[in-house]
Amino acid sequence: MLNKHFTIMQILTSVYKFFRPRIAGMIVAILFLAIVIISIGFTNWNTVDQIPQNPMDQSNIQGIGMLIFTEFVIPFEILSIVLLATLMGAIYMAKGDGTE
Amino acid sequence: MIPLFYYLALSAIIFSIGLFGFMTQRSGIRMLMCVELMLNAANINLVAFSSYNGDLTGQVFALYSIALAAAEAAIGFAILMSIYRVRDMIDLNKINVLRW
Amino acid sequence: MAIEDMAFLIPVLPALAFVLTFFLGKKLPNGGAIIPIIAIFTSFVISLMITLNLLQNPEQVVSQSYNWFAILNVGVLIDPLAAVMLSMVSFVSLLIHIYAVGYMSHDKAQPRYFAETALFTAAMLGVVLSDNILQFFICWELVGLCSYLLIGFWFEKPSAASAAKKAFLTTRVGDVMFLAGIILLFADIFRIFNGSIPEGVYVLRFDEIFTHIPEIAALNTQIFGFEVSHLTIITLLFFGGAVGKSGQFPLHVWLPDAMEGPTTVSALIHAATMVTAGVYLVARTFPMFLAAPYSLLVVAYLGAFTALFAATMGLVMNDIKRVLAFSTISQLGYMMLGLGMGAVIGVTAVGDSLFHLINHAFFKALLFLCAGSVIHAVGTQDIRQMGGVRKVMPITFATMLIASLALAGFGIPGTSIGVSGFFSKDPIIEAAYLFGESTENWVPYLFSIVAALLTSIYIFRLIFMTFTGKPRTNYGGHESPSVMTVPLMILGVLALVFGALTKTGFGKFLEETFANNFVNMDIHALAEIGKYHLASHGAGSEPLLILWMPVIVAIAGLLISYLIYGMRIIDMSSIVSRKNPIYKLLYNRYYQNAIFTQFLAVKVIYEGLALAGRAIDRGFDWTVYLIGHIFTEASDGLRLLQTGVVQNYATSVVTGVSLLIILVKLILEVF
Repeated sequence: MLNKHFTIMQILTSVYKFFRPRIAGMIVAILFLAIVIISIGFTNWNTVDQIPQNPMDQSNIQGIGMLIFTEFVIPFEILSIVLLATLMGAIYMAKGDGTE
Repeated sequence: MIPLFYYLALSAIIFSIGLFGFMTQRSGIRMLMCVELMLNAANINLVAFSSYNGDLTGQVFALYSIALAAAEAAIGFAILMSIYRVRDMIDLNKINVLRW
Repeated sequence: MAIEDMAFLIPVLPALAFVLTFFLGKKLPNGGAIIPIIAIFTSFVISLMITLNLLQNPEQVVSQSYNWFAILNVGVLIDPLAAVMLSMVSFVSLLIHIYAVGYMSHDKAQPRYFAETALFTAAMLGVVLSDNILQFFICWELVGLCSYLLIGFWFEKPSAASAAKKAFLTTRVGDVMFLAGIILLFADIFRIFNGSIPEGVYVLRFDEIFTHIPEIAALNTQIFGFEVSHLTIITLLFFGGAVGKSGQFPLHVWLPDAMEGPTTVSALIHAATMVTAGVYLVARTFPMFLAAPYSLLVVAYLGAFTALFAATMGLVMNDIKRVLAFSTISQLGYMMLGLGMGAVIGVTAVGDSLFHLINHAFFKALLFLCAGSVIHAVGTQDIRQMGGVRKVMPITFATMLIASLALAGFGIPGTSIGVSGFFSKDPIIEAAYLFGESTENWVPYLFSIVAALLTSIYIFRLIFMTFTGKPRTNYGGHESPSVMTVPLMILGVLALVFGALTKTGFGKFLEETFANNFVNMDIHALAEIGKYHLASHGAGSEPLLILWMPVIVAIAGLLISYLIYGMRIIDMSSIVSRKNPIYKLLYNRYYQNAIFTQFLAVKVIYEGLALAGRAIDRGFDWTVYLIGHIFTEASDGLRLLQTGVVQNYATSVVTGVSLLIILVKLILEVF
C-alpha cells in the first residue's frame, strides 16, 4: 500500500508543496548563507598553528571554571540575577491572573 | 586537523536554517526553536574561535550565552502562553495588531 | 545727566503715555488726557532745550547709536533739522491735546482717542529723530497706522471707515515704493562694500549713506534704453513714499477724505505733522537728492503742479474742512517745490522749505482748530449754512483771520513786517523765479504765483462765507470754552510773529545740518554729481515787481473774494452752477474719484489684476494640491508595507543586510 503511493512524483510534489509558500524566505536565507560562506571563505583567519594536543587531559573544564570564578565573576553574578529575574517574570506571566 | 572554515560554515548553515525557519514558520513555538538555532550557531562560532585562538574566554561566554538562551526561552514561552490565553492560538502571522 | 542723554525719552514718553492711557484712561477724568499732555510736555521741554543748545553751538549734534542686530542699529540723531521738527511736532501736539480736552469732551471713546494720538505723537517723534533709514521707515509705518486708526475714529460711520481704508491703502502705495528704495539702497551699499561690512559700520545710518553718495551715483542701470543712475532711482522711490504720505499728486486723494476724523486729528495729523513727514524725508535725504540727476526737478514740478491743482479744487468746496484739506495739499506742494528748488539754490532750499513747513504747521493747525471750534459750536461743516459767526465767536474769528492772513502771505517785502506765511512762502516763490531765470523754464514760477492767487481767494471766501454777513440758518452757537481758545490764541500769536522773529536765523541754522556735520563733501560737489547748476547769487536780488508779486496776488485774491462773497457785488450764480463745465469739473474734483474708483480700482485692479491673480492663484493651488495628492496616494500605498507581522519585518531586515553587504563589497571593489 505504502510503496504503491510512494512514487518519485509524489515526493517532488510534497517538496514543492512545502516550499512554494516559503519561496521568499528560502531565497533570502540562501542569499544570506551564500554571503556569509563567501565572506568566511575569503577571510584570512588569524589562528594558532596547532590546537594544543594533550591526550592525557582533553578537558578544559578546569580552566573554564578557574576563569568563571576569577576573571569573569562579575558577569557570572549578574547573570545569576538576570536568570532569577527571568524566572520570576516567566512564572508571573505564565501563571496568569489566577482566575482559572 | 579540521580547518576553522568548517566550523564557521557549519555555524553559518545552522544560522541560515534558523533564519529560514524563523521567516517561514507560523507557530510561535517553532519560531522560538529557530531563534534557539540561530543562537547556538553563534555559540559554535564562539567556541570555534576560542579553541583556535588558544583562549578560553570565548568558551566561558558560550556558557553564559547558553544560560541566557535558557532565560530567553523561558520568557518566550511565557509570552506565548499569555498570547494563547488571550487568542486561543499561537499563530504569529495573525498577531498583526501593529499593522497600518 | 546731560540733556542730550535724555534725547531717547522724547519718543519714549508719549509711547508710555499711550500704554497708560489705553489701560487707565477710563478711570481718569477726561479720558486720561492728562497723561499724554504731561508726557508730551516733557518731550517738548527736552526738545526745546536740545534745540536751544544746538542754536548756540550747532556742532554739538546729538547722535547716539545702539547695535540692534548685525549691521543695523537703532539710534537718535538730533541735528538742527531734526531739532526744529521735534520742537514743532511736540509743541503743536501738546496744544492740540489740550484743545482736544474741550473738543472731545462729549465723546465716549475719549481714552481711545488720547491713547491713539499719544501713540501717533510717539511715532512721529520717532520718525524725526531716527538716525537710520530703517528706523525711519518703521516709525513712518507706525505713523500711517495711527493715521488710519484716527481717521476711522468714528468707525461706526461707514464714510469714516472707508476714508480710513482709502487713506491707508493710498499711502501704502507710496510706502511700498519707499521700502523698495531702502532695499535698493541697502543692496547698493552692500555692493560697494563688496559684501563684507566692517565691524561697527551700520550701513543704513544717514551719515554712512551720505558718505557713499558718489559711489551709488556712479552705478548705472539701463531703463528703456536710458542710462539712469541708481541714486536717481532710489531718490525717486523715496519721493514716491513722500508723495503718498504728503498727499502730492497723484496720491493726494486720501487727504480730503481723511477729514472724516475728528477735527483735532485733522489738525494734528493731516495738517501739521504727519503729512509733513514726506517733506521731512526729502529734506533728511536732501544730499542724495542733490546728487541725483533729475530727482530734484521731478520734486519741483510735481510740487508746483500739486500746489496749483489742489488750490483750484479748494475754490469750490463747501465743506469747511475740505477747503482746508485742499489748502494743505497745496501748501505741501509749495514745500516740495521749495525742496525741488535745491536744483538752483542748493542747501538753502531745505531751510526755505522747512521754514514754510514750520509756519504752515502753526497756521494750518490753527485754521483747523478754528474750524473745529466753529463746527463744535455750529454743528455743521457746510459753509453755506454758516455766516455771521463772527458775532458769536469773536476769539475764533480773530485767530482764524490771523491764520488766513498767514496762509495767504501778507507782508511788506524788504522789511520785518508780515505774517509768518509771508516770510516762508516768498523765498520759495523767489527761488522758483531764480529757477526760471537760470533755466529759462518758468513753469514752476507761474504755477506757484497762480496758486498763491487762488490760495488767497479760497481762504477769504471761507472767511467771508463763514464769519461775515447774516446767519443763513439757525445754529445758535456759542464761543468755545477757554481750554479750546487758549491754544488758539497761542497758535495765533505764533502764526503772527514766528516768521518775522526767525526769518534770518532759521535758514542759516538748518544749513548747518548738512554744511558741517553731515556730509563730508561740500554741496557744490554733490550738485555737480547731480548735474545741477547752482545759481551764483542768492535770492533777494530780483526786480522789485518780482519781490512784490506774491503780496500783490494775495491782495488781489482778498479783493476778489471780498467783491464776490463779502459785498456780493459780482453775481456768481451764473458761474457757480452745475451747468458751468469748469465749475462742474472742479466741484467733482477733476473726476478723480471716478478715475480712481471706477477705472483704476474696478477695471484695472479688480477686473484686471485680481482676476489674473485668481487664475495664477488657481494654477499654484492646483500644483500644490497635485504634489500633496501624489504624496498622499503614494504613502497610502506604501503604508501597506507595515503588515504588523514579525516575520515580514525579519525578512526585510535580513534582505536589507544582505543587499547592504553586497553593495558595500561592490563599492569597495570598484574603488
